[in-house]
This record gives sequence, C-alpha cells and structure tokens, in this order.
Amino acid sequence: MKYQFEVIPSKCIGCRTCELACAFAHAQNQKPGKSRIYPLAYAPDKYVPVTCLQCDDAACVKSCMFNALRRNEETGAVELDKERCVKCGACVAACPFGCALIDDVHDEIVKCDLCGGSPACAAFCPTKALVYKRV
Amino acid sequence: MVHITINGKVVKAAEGEMLLTVLKREGIDIPALCHHEAIEPTGNCRLCMVEISRAEWEGWKKHVTSCLYPVEDGLIVNTHTPEVIEIRKTIIDLQLANCPDSDVIQKMAEEYGIYKTSYETVPEGDNCIMCYACTRICEVLGKSAISAVMRGHKKVIAPPFGEEPPDCIGCLACAQICPTNVIPWTDTDSTRTIWKKTFDLITCTSCGKAVITKDFAEYLMAQRQIPKEYFETCDECKRMATARKMGEIVTKAQEAAL
Repeated sequence: MKYQFEVIPSKCIGCRTCELACAFAHAQNQKPGKSRIYPLAYAPDKYVPVTCLQCDDAACVKSCMFNALRRNEETGAVELDKERCVKCGACVAACPFGCALIDDVHDEIVKCDLCGGSPACAAFCPTKALVYKRV
Repeated sequence: MVHITINGKVVKAAEGEMLLTVLKREGIDIPALCHHEAIEPTGNCRLCMVEISRAEWEGWKKHVTSCLYPVEDGLIVNTHTPEVIEIRKTIIDLQLANCPDSDVIQKMAEEYGIYKTSYETVPEGDNCIMCYACTRICEVLGKSAISAVMRGHKKVIAPPFGEEPPDCIGCLACAQICPTNVIPWTDTDSTRTIWKKTFDLITCTSCGKAVITKDFAEYLMAQRQIPKEYFETCDECKRMATARKMGEIVTKAQEAAL
C-alpha cells in the first residue's frame, strides 16, 4: 500500500467538519450524502473519528454474495460497486465496526472509499487529526 | 483490448465485455429494465436494443440487445437512430400494455412520448414483466427459492407450490432488484414477511433495532464464516462500541506517556 490514512483521536476536537466534508464530497443530485465518518464522543469532550478501517480480511467483502465490494489496489480502500449492489444489507449487518450503512436519501449502501485517493475529511480537518499520507 | 465506434466516437473496451456495460460507462442513456451487473444478462426486457454494423458489411446492419452482445473489434454501434427509437417505442408500448399501473414503465413511456398504450391492456395484470431478475439474483445468492411457474399467459414468479418457500432466507434481494417493484414485503420491529413466509429479525442487543433476518445471518455465518457476534448489534451501536474501544486505547497510551 502506498498511502496511509491516519486517525489521531487525541487531536480530534469533535468539530464535525469531517462529517460535513464527507457528506458534501459524496453529494448526488444536489443533495448531500450520508457521512462515511462519525466523530463520536467516548467520554465528555473526548472524541474519536470512527471511520472504515479498510480491514485486510474485511467482513463486508466476505459477506457480499454479489461481489459488489472489492478492494481498489491503488488506494487500498474497499470500494462498493453500485452497479452490482442489490442493497440486501449483508455488509451493514456484518461490519464489526458499524462502518457500512444505508443512505435512505439516495437509497444506497455507503461506506468509506477514501474519496478515490484524496479523502475530503483529511483535507478539511482543522487539527490534522485525520492525515492521509504517503508511506 | 478492442476498439469500437459508438455514435461516431471510437472507444476502448475490454474483450468479452457486454456492449451495454460499455455504453453505460460511456454515459449513453439506454433504457433497460432487466439489466443488473450482479446477474447474468438474459435479454428479457428487450429495451436495450441498438443498431450494429461493421465496415465490411457494406451498409448492412442489424439490431441486437446490447446487454447480450459481447464487444468485438471494429464494431460500429448506433444507439439512437430513428429505427432503434421506433423499436424501443414499440417495446415500451407493449410493456405499458402489460403493466399499465407501473410507475417505472409509465415514466419510461412518457420519455418516449407514449401516454397511452395502443394495445389492449392485460386484465388484472400485476406489473411483473417476467424479466427473471428476482430468480436470477436468488440463484446467484445460491438459494433459488423462487422460480417461474405455469406456462403462457398464466406464468408467474412464485415459490414452490405457492407455499412458504423453504429455501428463502428473507434477504430481500429479489424485492430490491425488481425493476417494477412488484415483490411486496412487510417489516415489523422483530419480524419480516416476504413470499408469505415470516422471518425472525435479529434485534440489536443494546438498542433493539432490527439488524438482519436470523436465516440470512445463519447463511452468511455458514457460507462466508462471519462470526455470530458481528450480527448481534446494529451499525449505530457497533460504531459507538468502536469509539469506546478506541477511546480506551487512547487513554491507556496517554497514561503510559505521562
């Protein structure tokens, strides 16, 4: 893998800019999409931006009976092929981290795709708690 | 790699790819009802008809369903000639007679300027276009719980003997893929009913939200070796658990650094 997506929870201030950046980066038909990153508070004023870990042995990929989820070898992200997806929800139920979910507005399954190689969340994070870098 | 000409523009395509896949990738609007990338093409709806030709055919041409036609080098494709439009209009007109109440087909017909079918409509039609997308997706899943029964105009998609399908796992793939949305299902807080069979839904152990049917989860556990505990909580609770777990690690690391 040529790039690494780093999450540094200690730097996260819970401003939710990443969530907005994600929703707008995945907008369709002039409507923002559902965010693929979730800054959650694990203690008062302490936040973790929870996002897809792009697991090596991913449960979502294994659970998909239609091969709609495949790894993009260039970015290392597990990407959803919308043309092959039937929205059965197997990946949503199988992901142990809860990072695949159903977007009711656009009627599709969403998961982090690292924006195809330039994640909007990392670009907008004001405290650099999200870093996308070459390794 | 092969080169084909689509509406005068030369494009590259992979060998063995179906023409419709290439056309869609090029952003050309081709109506199709029964096409889905997850299932094998069968050309049942006939809507994706295009005109093909080759330089050596000296002006001869033919009309093919693009979903079933593998691309070949030197193919000349025209997608919106008056003949193709006329063929498509006839097919849509027939589909509209078959499914007069279908929103999807009505909308498609309006796009082609058809507001009323010129044929006699099917009495008591159920909007099913017999495209077999549902049976094909069920086959891909490895279940084949439903199939076409009876013959001729009596043909319908149904479970065996019209009873509860023993192989159905309640995944809703058939209902989701149906182009005209004719497969009904109902969900309550803890059950799901489809094809007259009622399934128990696994509910989140912490918030009670429905996750997936028990049968589908068991199928995934057996087929794809997904651990049972992955299905026990809903996505929202799983995210919160992830945040807490990560928080613990952060707190421990910070304490160790002090």
